[in-house]
Amino acid sequence: MTAFIQYTLSGLVIGGLYAIVALGFFIMWSAVRAVNFAHGDTLMLGSVLSVVLMWSGVPLLIGIPLAILATAAFGLFIERIAVRPLNHGPSSIGWMLSTIAIGLMLEAFVTVTFGADPRSLPSPLMTTPIAIGGAGIFPHELLVPVVALALLGLLDWFYRATMTGRAMRAIAQKPVAAGLMGIDVRRMALLSFAAAAALGAFAGILAAPIIQVSAAMGLLLGLKGFLVAIIAGMSNARGIVIVGFAYGVLERFIEGLANTSLREVLGFGIMILLLLAFPNGLFGKREVNKV
Amino acid sequence: MKQPPILSSGLLASVSVAGALCLVPFAVANTFQLRVVMLFLIYALVALGLNLLVGLVSLVSLGQAGLYALGAYTVAILATKAGAGFLTAMLGAIAVTAIAGVALAYPTVRVRGVYLAVVTIAFGLIVQNVAIDWRALTGGTLGISNIPRINLGAGPLSTRDLYWLIAAVTFAGFLIHHNLMHSRIGRAMRAVAQSETAARALGIDPIRQRVLAFVLSSVFAGVAGGLYAYLNRYVNPDTFSFSDSIRFLLMVILGGAGTSFGPLLGAGILTWIPNLLQAFGKWQLFAYGALLALVIFFLPKGIAGSVHDLWMKLRHRRSQTIREAGSWPRPSSEIDALLRVEAKIRGPVLQTRELSIRFGGLAAVSGVTLDIERASVHAIIGPNGAGKTTMLNALSGFYPPTEGSVTLLQDEVGGRASDRIARSGLTRTFQNTELFSSMTVEENVLIGFHARSTTGFLATLFRAPSFYRESRQQRQRAALLLDYVGLSAYRDETAGNLAFGHQRRLEIARALAMSPEILLLDEPAAGLTHSEIDELIALIRDLKRLGLTVVLVEHHVDMIMAVSDHVTVLDYGEVIASGSPSSVRDDPKVIEAYFGASLGPAGVSA
Repeated sequence: MTAFIQYTLSGLVIGGLYAIVALGFFIMWSAVRAVNFAHGDTLMLGSVLSVVLMWSGVPLLIGIPLAILATAAFGLFIERIAVRPLNHGPSSIGWMLSTIAIGLMLEAFVTVTFGADPRSLPSPLMTTPIAIGGAGIFPHELLVPVVALALLGLLDWFYRATMTGRAMRAIAQKPVAAGLMGIDVRRMALLSFAAAAALGAFAGILAAPIIQVSAAMGLLLGLKGFLVAIIAGMSNARGIVIVGFAYGVLERFIEGLANTSLREVLGFGIMILLLLAFPNGLFGKREVNKV
Repeated sequence: MKQPPILSSGLLASVSVAGALCLVPFAVANTFQLRVVMLFLIYALVALGLNLLVGLVSLVSLGQAGLYALGAYTVAILATKAGAGFLTAMLGAIAVTAIAGVALAYPTVRVRGVYLAVVTIAFGLIVQNVAIDWRALTGGTLGISNIPRINLGAGPLSTRDLYWLIAAVTFAGFLIHHNLMHSRIGRAMRAVAQSETAARALGIDPIRQRVLAFVLSSVFAGVAGGLYAYLNRYVNPDTFSFSDSIRFLLMVILGGAGTSFGPLLGAGILTWIPNLLQAFGKWQLFAYGALLALVIFFLPKGIAGSVHDLWMKLRHRRSQTIREAGSWPRPSSEIDALLRVEAKIRGPVLQTRELSIRFGGLAAVSGVTLDIERASVHAIIGPNGAGKTTMLNALSGFYPPTEGSVTLLQDEVGGRASDRIARSGLTRTFQNTELFSSMTVEENVLIGFHARSTTGFLATLFRAPSFYRESRQQRQRAALLLDYVGLSAYRDETAGNLAFGHQRRLEIARALAMSPEILLLDEPAAGLTHSEIDELIALIRDLKRLGLTVVLVEHHVDMIMAVSDHVTVLDYGEVIASGSPSSVRDDPKVIEAYFGASLGPAGVSA
């Protein structure tokens, strides 16, 4: 029983992280029907920057917002340079390749300059674990799922209640019509990539005390976040958070009940099977192709 | 008729590649260099396969190294543990990678191409994980060594013999790749990438084409992996990482996606460039990323694609002639024979019963019952938003009915995929013409023949005589259809460059290439000049004479009155009048629907 609670709790922690990463994909996809394939590396950038700033003697309370801001600027750069000029309709692949290329360069750059060795960020909430039903967990870890849910609430509110959020939804549905209504489609695209990058950086910093910060940390987190978004259906934020949590818990159960080395194989395998059964995602609506 | 240029260029290409391959053993200085050439040939095979995916259906795989590894490990395991010979082991690799290809492609390509890219990354990681962790089978991080030399019956192959074998396989791969690209299958794949909607309307199943392309690219990678296992005689997980997948992709993009020679060029450059990149030391991976970025931003068509474009531009400049479209339609006995529809069944060819289409709570079409008679012109009219185009989309299978039925040639087709409906004999044009705009005018028409072609997959790949016979026949028929719509002079022009009215003609010619029994025209007169509309009327009459049934959605009242046998008027998704053009014109309900109040019959002709 204790083991089950332990798996579930730590699954919600890692799942919350997947959910936040997946929400980043959701935000970008909603705005321009394209994403930053290097979103995982963007997350890594935020994480690494915060560690580097801490070493340089910048207090965390200043360093963390700085790192998030810098990563958001990187998101702007990605949209303007790598996505916008190469995104022409549903079968264009240029934006995929260009963002992969930038991600590759970023990862290689960080490996060389920051070093391949993983490092960590301290957190005052990582000192004494608390016990829940016999299972132990650090308060900082519990922050992750709470933050994921809070972000979902914030996003929900933003898309429903603010003018900018409504404009973004309008663009997602009909970019041309939205443009004719005076919505600045390009600005919204920039804004959403910056927001997604900031969210990624935030996830990376939140995870830094729990998992190790390294140049390679982004690949798996980004991939799993993207898979979560796809399985949820790309266009449903709540569904994304649910699938994110579920995937994290599933992983921990596989590790606990079977074998750590089976985690990726079984996890990805189940995701592919789910996509076979639900081509539009678990929470996605079938998109009617207007012709 | 002159020799089709594809044949001669193909012959030239294959002879030059074969010649180069034969010279290599005499040009290299030692075994080490020969092994590098073999490695290049193996990479080239992966790149050729990947090009079928990237260049034809515009999908990206980021897990090609995983499929390559799958082939290598299958061969290594079969050869060391089961004592399998070369052919058995290679067939095993082909089978395993083909299965993996279907399993990865089918779930992912139905909704969005991006999904394939993501899932293939995951697949690459799975393969690497399994290779590391399933020690009993794969030897873990140590890998599998002592893979026996290939023995085809006359003792183990020497390095030089192995070269001939690898060269022969890669050459076969090159031919298959080239033949597929320049065939109706390659054309259909490119069509799917350019406009899924138009491809469906022409009876092409996009999912099938995408899965086929990915399975082929998987098998190419699997065969290459198998050859690698025999060349290296040792496999371990390090060779098959994510960055190797990126490298394969870079080969295709750098060389030129969608070209015959691009993958060879790209593989060549990336086989020999690592020696150059050694200078970058730790920055090597960065250099790969930078190279990929440079190619995408400054050479998006790759080396071969850019050279080809330049060549075309130069040639075009030399042969600049003034062309004029002919008048149309131009009936001829050959066209009559090609398009004539013989009545196989009695009664209406297309029927709906209580058909409703709802989007959420909104009923775009509700309770529509229609009977469309053979060899008639049936117009569907109504004010904007009356549900006319929705109706066309329901008839052609683009929207599944929410309720009610659609019967095509006495066959219930409600909910059936649009490409299947098209193959059953109903095709259509689109309000905002959906051409394959970067293909030539002739190619657009040729794609229309795809669904009716009889040459099989293997006959196409290996260029059986039936392939040449059918290609010749289809080109002749395409010439007939282009003549029929007066576009013969534009045969080799890129479709996207045509004037708007000519694009409409081409779209109709392309639809006619399917030899449909029923043709749906969605606002064919929109944007046409007066004389063009007169010609369109003549065309519709001619099609009716040939036994085709034409369903017309149109705003142009004069045209409807001139050409229709039967008019159905929709308003708010419901039929408010149906009958002969004159009876509908005088119907007070119709007048009210158009003008909100009775103005009298004279008002309708506006």
